[in-house]
Amino acid sequence: MFDLEIEVNGKQEQVSVEADTTLLYLLRDKLGLTGSKDGCRSGDCGACVVLLDGKTVNACMVLAPQANGASVMTVEGLAKDGELHPLQRCFSESWAFQCGFCTGGMLMSCYALLKSNSNPTRDEIRAAIAGNFCRCTGYQALVTAVEQAAAELRANNV
Amino acid sequence: MKPAEFLSPTTLNDALELKHKHGAAARVIAGGTDLILRMRAQVLTPSLLIDLQHAALNNIKVSDKYLEVGASLTISEVLQNTRIEDLFPAIHMACRKFAGPPIRNRATIGGNIVNASPAADLVSPLIAYDAEIVLKSANGERTMPLVTFFTGAGKTLLKDDEILTQIRLPLSAASTNAYFIKLAQRNSMAISQLNLTTRLNLNRQGLIETARIVLGSVAAVPMRAMAAEAMLVGEKSSEDLFYAAAAQARQEVKPISDIRASREYRLQMTQVLVRRALLESIANV
Repeated sequence: MFDLEIEVNGKQEQVSVEADTTLLYLLRDKLGLTGSKDGCRSGDCGACVVLLDGKTVNACMVLAPQANGASVMTVEGLAKDGELHPLQRCFSESWAFQCGFCTGGMLMSCYALLKSNSNPTRDEIRAAIAGNFCRCTGYQALVTAVEQAAAELRANNV
Repeated sequence: MKPAEFLSPTTLNDALELKHKHGAAARVIAGGTDLILRMRAQVLTPSLLIDLQHAALNNIKVSDKYLEVGASLTISEVLQNTRIEDLFPAIHMACRKFAGPPIRNRATIGGNIVNASPAADLVSPLIAYDAEIVLKSANGERTMPLVTFFTGAGKTLLKDDEILTQIRLPLSAASTNAYFIKLAQRNSMAISQLNLTTRLNLNRQGLIETARIVLGSVAAVPMRAMAAEAMLVGEKSSEDLFYAAAAQARQEVKPISDIRASREYRLQMTQVLVRRALLESIANV
């Protein structure tokens, strides 16, 4: 067993796992954070994307011990005090999802984009979600939602 | 997956000692984006994982002859490095076509080499720039041209006690007259049906002094089309010359049919894309 310390959504956690446990399993089964979805288990679909020390990763492609001492942000960390993050609200208002399975990973990839680029073009948004597959809604409404969220965030920061 | 022990040495020497002691039973893990899949499929069942992320192999520095790239640099870090973009732009182009952002944030340049996939995205541009690799063990180190490292699909000259620590790009090979093309079924998250890099260095008269045509996914290992390269050296760039070299490259590749493309398609596209890449290489001259 491997004992590790990890900060998840601002909260310090101490967990004991088998050394080849993935970060995704740790988040979902040990910590009960099921917003990161268990999709392809091969780094292809992006449904499990979280931020690891500020960078997007497929949680299914990171071994939990590799995240020892790191800081993780999952989709559960987006809303603050019960209020949705502008990205989440714009996803909802723009009908940017149907089944919702890809949404957690999509939100995290878009959140990472907006942290480094407050005014992305549609092409830049598409490049940011190149590792996230949506199999029901498509991408048009989603790209629009990100544009709207970016505009809101810019307006609020002025 | 079968449980394995996990150690995270904080120096390269500690990592080398571990590899020396445990040999083939231990696997080095960098980004893990290939290794974890193979462990999950039980293709690899190491008893020990040696994590390299704290072993200080993630820097880039310039020596008098080389740009020295640490093997643990992620694809994203390579992509963001302006020196690589300026001096070795075909490597930058390949990084842009590599999987998608979350994989690029984990996968490493060293992992892409050691994994030894015939379709590896970064290997054809690295060979095109005459990259050398540094293999270290507890007993010493050796350096070799990357092009000689591969012995078959998934097979390399890496010994059980060795770790790939560095990729050296000769500054004399730097060229912006270079181009990378990846042929795949999607723009992102796809494995190459074929990838290739062309690199030309022109002399003051505008004649081709050095030529590299390197192809992936057309043989068991990434390969140079050396007869085609030889046709270019000493010549002046022209469409006719590039057309002839591309036809020659087609004669040199040895593709197979697999789930991604047929042998015939790969042969045809070798000719089409070598010509296109050569033309793009000199487009800004």
